[in-house]
Amino acid sequence: MVLVIGGSGSGKSLWAEGYVASFPGQKYYLATMHIYDEETRGRIERHRRQRSGKGFFTIEQPVDIRLAADKINLYQERTESYRHGKGVALLECIGSLAANEMFGGQEPAAEEAVVEKIVSGIASLKEELKNLVIVSNNVFEDGKVYDDTTMAYIRAMGWINERLAAMADQVVEVVAGIPVILKEEPGGNVPCTF
Amino acid sequence: MKLVIGGYAQGKLAFVLEHYGADRCRVWDGVLPKEADAGMEMVVIDHFHNWVKGCMLGGGCPEAEVGEFLKNFPDCVIISDEIGNGIVPVEAFERQYREQTGRILVELAGKAEEVVRVICGIGQKIK
Repeated sequence: MVLVIGGSGSGKSLWAEGYVASFPGQKYYLATMHIYDEETRGRIERHRRQRSGKGFFTIEQPVDIRLAADKINLYQERTESYRHGKGVALLECIGSLAANEMFGGQEPAAEEAVVEKIVSGIASLKEELKNLVIVSNNVFEDGKVYDDTTMAYIRAMGWINERLAAMADQVVEVVAGIPVILKEEPGGNVPCTF
Repeated sequence: MKLVIGGYAQGKLAFVLEHYGADRCRVWDGVLPKEADAGMEMVVIDHFHNWVKGCMLGGGCPEAEVGEFLKNFPDCVIISDEIGNGIVPVEAFERQYREQTGRILVELAGKAEEVVRVICGIGQKIK
């Protein structure tokens, strides 16, 4: 499992797509964004064009990420792609998945519940795959103190990132399109020698 | 002195307690202790950026006060949020707070024997 983190417009998606496309076998794109308006429609379109021709089968999973495993298994049955072994998936992204889980109901969900649901969902999903690449967002460095709900959302993202990073074999920060390795198994964290 | 920086909610304090030994550390939250207040443990300043903000709001001079603090506690750990990677705020004080905190962190990083950046709970030793 690989966690890819970066800022807005850092090129993290493009890097992650290229990385996943380099694997043999069936590739899945786990899309988490709801279409709300023209802006999200445009963003989704841009990502679709960016992915086209790279051989991804797209699965829409804006909430309940665990359920993506069932859809993957169903697709593998239908196309008999299981013959070639497990596939590789790109999950994009934790920011919108966490927002959908937290703000999808009448009242915002508790941050602990959001963290637990997403982390455990991903833990079971990754068992169905040869590799899972997850894109997450660096939303932690602007120093702003937002309203309580937004701070709870940012904390939930922080926790999810931390737990996924601990689970991951590799953690990559994309800066201006350049991958900086934060963790690489085996051997622990490459740049840091504690 | 060791400096640990990183975004909000990245696990900086947990990282410090794990790597420098929780039983050896005494954590001060947004406060710089006076010489007489401290015990034998290593002084860890958490949320250093909040202290800078408070000092500025109180009309103090954070650079001078930190300098004084470091003379008393040369072996401390200072933990601060990275607050400069966002849109420059409209409010003058918020702008000045980011600017001044950033400058102080640059100076601390220059003096520090070790600087660690924490992201996703992972420490990268950058100095």
